[in-house]
Order: sequence, then C-alpha cells, then structure tokens
Amino acid sequence: MNETAQGLRTTSVGSLPKPDYLLHARAQRARNEISQEELDELSRRATQEWIRFQEEIGVDIVVDGEMYRGDMVAYFAENLEGMGISGLVRSYGNRYYKKPIATGDIRRPAPITVDWWKFAQSLTEKPVKGMLTGPYTIADWSFDNHYGSRRDLVMALAEVVRQEAQDLEQAGAEYLQIDEPAVSTRLDELDLVIESMAVVTSGLRAHTITHMCYGRFEEVYPRLLDIPVDQIDLEMANSGLELLEKFGAHPFTKAIGFGVVDVHTHKIESVDEVKKNIRRALDYLRPDQVFIDPDCGLKTRTVDEAKAKLRTIQQARDEVRSELVRA
Amino acid sequence: MIATSVSHYPKVGNGPGRQRLRQAIAQLDKGAIDRAALDRVADEVTAEVIQEQERAGLDLVTDGQIRWQDPVTYIAGRLEGFELHGLLRWFETNTYYRQPVATGPITWKEPILVRDFLYAREHASSPVKAVLTGPYTIGTLSETRHHQSRRDFVLELAGALNQELKALAEEGPAWIQIDEPAMARNPSVRYPRDFELFGEAMYRLTEGVNQQSRLSLYIYHGDVADYPQVADLPFALIGLDLVQGAANWDLVGSWPDSKAIGLGAVDARNVRLEDPDEVARRIAAVAAREIHVSPSCGLEFLPRETAFQKLELVARAAHAVEART
Repeated sequence: MNETAQGLRTTSVGSLPKPDYLLHARAQRARNEISQEELDELSRRATQEWIRFQEEIGVDIVVDGEMYRGDMVAYFAENLEGMGISGLVRSYGNRYYKKPIATGDIRRPAPITVDWWKFAQSLTEKPVKGMLTGPYTIADWSFDNHYGSRRDLVMALAEVVRQEAQDLEQAGAEYLQIDEPAVSTRLDELDLVIESMAVVTSGLRAHTITHMCYGRFEEVYPRLLDIPVDQIDLEMANSGLELLEKFGAHPFTKAIGFGVVDVHTHKIESVDEVKKNIRRALDYLRPDQVFIDPDCGLKTRTVDEAKAKLRTIQQARDEVRSELVRA
Repeated sequence: MIATSVSHYPKVGNGPGRQRLRQAIAQLDKGAIDRAALDRVADEVTAEVIQEQERAGLDLVTDGQIRWQDPVTYIAGRLEGFELHGLLRWFETNTYYRQPVATGPITWKEPILVRDFLYAREHASSPVKAVLTGPYTIGTLSETRHHQSRRDFVLELAGALNQELKALAEEGPAWIQIDEPAMARNPSVRYPRDFELFGEAMYRLTEGVNQQSRLSLYIYHGDVADYPQVADLPFALIGLDLVQGAANWDLVGSWPDSKAIGLGAVDARNVRLEDPDEVARRIAAVAAREIHVSPSCGLEFLPRETAFQKLELVARAAHAVEART
C-alpha cells in the first residue's frame, strides 16, 4: 500500500452505547437481582456484537465499547485501593452522580482492564485499543480526602495508570489511549498533564493516544504538542477551526485523532459533510498522520444512531481515500 | 463573629427519605404529579435545609436555593428579555448552567425572590439573608443579541436587578447578598474582567435601596487580590473566597476598619474536613471590626452530609474565636 492508502485510518474514541438488554441487566445488578457473573456474560455478548459490527463495516482500529464500565472515572476508582465513592452530588437539573474520592494511598491491587481487553482482542484480527482514563482527569473529577495537593494526587494516580498501561502492552495492545477530557477545563494546568502523562507513557512501545474534549486548545498551541503521546485525539467536527489554522504556522508534529461527527446530536451527518471535515484535516496534515473518528465517546447515542454515524464515517473515509488515490 | 453559609446547599441527601425532591422532579417529568405538588416538596426541603443550617450552629442562614436549577437561570429566566439556551460549564466545576441569551431589552417585571425570602423567614429561627446572583456575573455568563456593547448589557441588567433589591428591601431582610463570582481571578476560566464596568454596575445595582437591610457582596471561585478597590464599593460587607482565592489573604491583611468582611475560610468544593482549631487560628488573626465566617462558596458541590459537617466546622471555629474575644 502506498502512503495515501495507508492513511486516514478509522477508529472510535472509546465508549459505545450499551444495548437495552445490558442496560436492563446493569439496573438489575444494582438491585442485586442478578449476579456479577450473569452481568459479565451479557457484557461479553454486547462486546462481541460491537466488535463484529466494527469488523463488518471495516473499522481499522476497533474498541470494545466499554460495555462493562459505567462512568469513566468511577470505574477506575472502584478498582483502586485508596479510592472510594462519595455520596450524591448534583451536576445539572435532576442529574446526580456519586463522585469518587481519594481516601488513602492509591494502589492498584490487580490489573483492571486487562482481562476485558484480552477477551475483546480474542474476537478479532484487528487491533483493539486499550482504553484508560488519565491521572489528571481521575483526580480532577474526584474529591481528595488524603493527598492535600492536586499535584500529589495526580502523580499518585499516574503511577497506577502506568502499571495498567504496561500490563495492557504486555498483553499485546498496540494502541493505548489515555483519556484526559478534564484538561480542556483547566488549560492553566497543562504542565501537570504533561508531567503526569510522561509517567504513564515512559517506556511504552505501543502507539499512545490521549483524547481531550473541546477546549480553547489554540491558546496553548504548540505547547499542547509537549504532551508525551504519539497521537492527540480532538473534537473537530463542530469546532477546532481556530486550532487547525494554527497548524499552518506551526506544524502539528504528532498523529491526530480527528473527530468528524458530532456525538451530542441525534442527527446523522451526511457522507458529504463528513468528507468535507476529513478534507479540512488534509489541508494541514498528511493522510498517514490522521486517524478518523467521532468527536467523543458515542455512549449517549442510541445503538442505531451510533451505528449510523460509524457507517457514515467509514463510507466518507473510503470515498476520500479513493479520490486521493485517483488524484 | 457571625457564622453563615454563602448561597446554595445540597438538595438531596443519601439516607432514606432524603431524596424527595429528586423523586418529585422525576414524577413531574413523567406527568405523575403537578407543579403545585412539586412546589410543596421544594418548600418542605427548604424548611429542612434551613433547620439543618441552624442545627449546624449558623447564626445567619440562606434558603439553600433549593428551587434553583443553577445560579443564573433562576434570576435571568424571570427577567423580561432573556431566552434560555444550552448548558455551559459553571466556571471550572463539574456543574452546569443554562445560558441566557438576551433577545430584547432586559427589564424587571415582577419580584423574583420575595416570596422565597418570606417563606424562608417564616421557617427560620435565626435571621435569613436573601441571596441573588449579580448583574456582572449574569451578564458575563450570558450572551446578548440585542445590546450594542457588553457595558450597555451589564448596566441594563444592574438597573433591572436594582428593582429586585428594592422589592426585597421592602421586606426588611437582615442582609441582602449579591454574588459576583465572575469578578474573581480564576486562571482556569479567564472570563474578561472589567473593573471599571464592575464598579459602575455595583453603584447602579444598589442605588436608592432602602438601607434598613444591609447589603453584602460575595466574590468566589478565585481571588480579587489585584482589585483592592473592592473594599470601597457600596456594600456593608465584602465576602472573599480564601480557599480557591488564597491570594485574598493579602487583602485581608490591609482591610479597612470601616468595612465588614466575609471570610470564606472552609473549602466548599472538597470533602476533606479542615481542623477547626486551625481555621479558628487563621480567622482570629483577622483584625476587621465585623466578621462573617463561611465556607468558600455555596455547598452544592458536596454531598449533603459533608456539607453539614462543613457548616458545623464553620460555626465551631467562629464561635471559638468569639468566645475568646
């Protein structure tokens, strides 16, 4: 394959919607009406369905869809020593969540996601991404009843996330994504993000990625490129234009995960719209630098909406690719 | 030394029977109960959180803003000229507010908080302060499609809220508090800060308000150490966030004797409980003539049980200092 044909690889940001039977089972599990084993069985079934779907439509780097996880921070907090879950806190309207809380020295008693990753990888020849939540985000979305400084808490978490990342790599993961959506809220703490990510990714040979949600990243560009990962994944469908223009003056030196569909709307984008977004990336970036995906995790969409959006991405990518080859 | 809370208080707790409001809202959404039934539950919970603040030992309480969805909507939604649009993040917290968009002139059409204040006073044994979000913050967090400039927009808002202050002052609350978090210096959010406009808005807001009620201004989610003129604004008391705005301690050191000060000395955004002796020691060193002690901001960022403990801590520290002097 030539460089163009290899480029524009497709993937997903991480989470995918849980099918109704799984949502139902999770509610039953919360009321102790079914066992953890019964729930795990259904999580495996849902994982299998999503892997098969991604293979069918031709996604290059697949995800397990996080069928076995609830909240992206609480899931890790529940599996770490020294972290617990607090009482209910309101986020907006009538929505409440149980915020994690650091209660003691944080340790990882056992690998957290490795068995699930192995299971997903056993179902496909395509590479399955290892998916972790980054130390900065876990810290920012938790209370601290132990460390007393944001930096100390973040760096303690960096150590356990590093252990998990290394175990995933050892198990065979070629792509490791460490999500840091909280960064966009506090760009003034970018230095701490860089410092903690260095702990997580040092010594890894896998292709490392961090995903961040929309923020005014143009204000911290090109410092943004100092985050020690191979790829930065950004929401670019409805925003990011100002950032993209900065790539003209200072080239983007990493791979980029380029979000091309909005995850917050029920509307399914047209293939033409998505192609336009992909071409926007190619004004500034080489095809082999660009990974095409949705703006963010798709878990808040319905299963049908998520599938339609992923199909659209795939078709748009295929059309742009063949146009590039012809040109 | 007065122990008080700043603004909101958690609407639900974690024990049995402590989620009535959440359940009632869900039932309203399903059409199972009507608005009046929800309002009754909100009233009951309001009375409950007032008593909870008193039980914690506070000398001056708020109504906990139990009916408020967020600090902006409850006020802006009842002024003429605003539409409410999408959700935006409230500063750098993990909470959200609905963004008001001005589509016409902003005018005050009816009292917004008077009924709530009267209800709260009726159910409190201690004095109650009325709290409203100020024009500078509402203006900063909103968008306008009508006004020529930010200045016109904020000053028009100040004029509209001036009428609300006058309506509240008629009822004679001990204190009326204006919250202006958008004036705080906060490296994470960088809202444009306009000292001159802020000062002008504060004069417009308080102009001609019956001085029977004392007026206070609270600025939190950051510091105003670069704005010492805050002490000269037309309020009897200025409340400062000493946790997220630790640089405010510089202002406290040179605080004018004539002005009362509010010390937001206990972290309202993290569950860690401070040592009450340490808090007492820090506030005892403040020389101001009249002092209110409080958490650093509203308490809805915490679980209800921790919020209560934070208020106990505030009361304990304030009263320990009071007993010594």
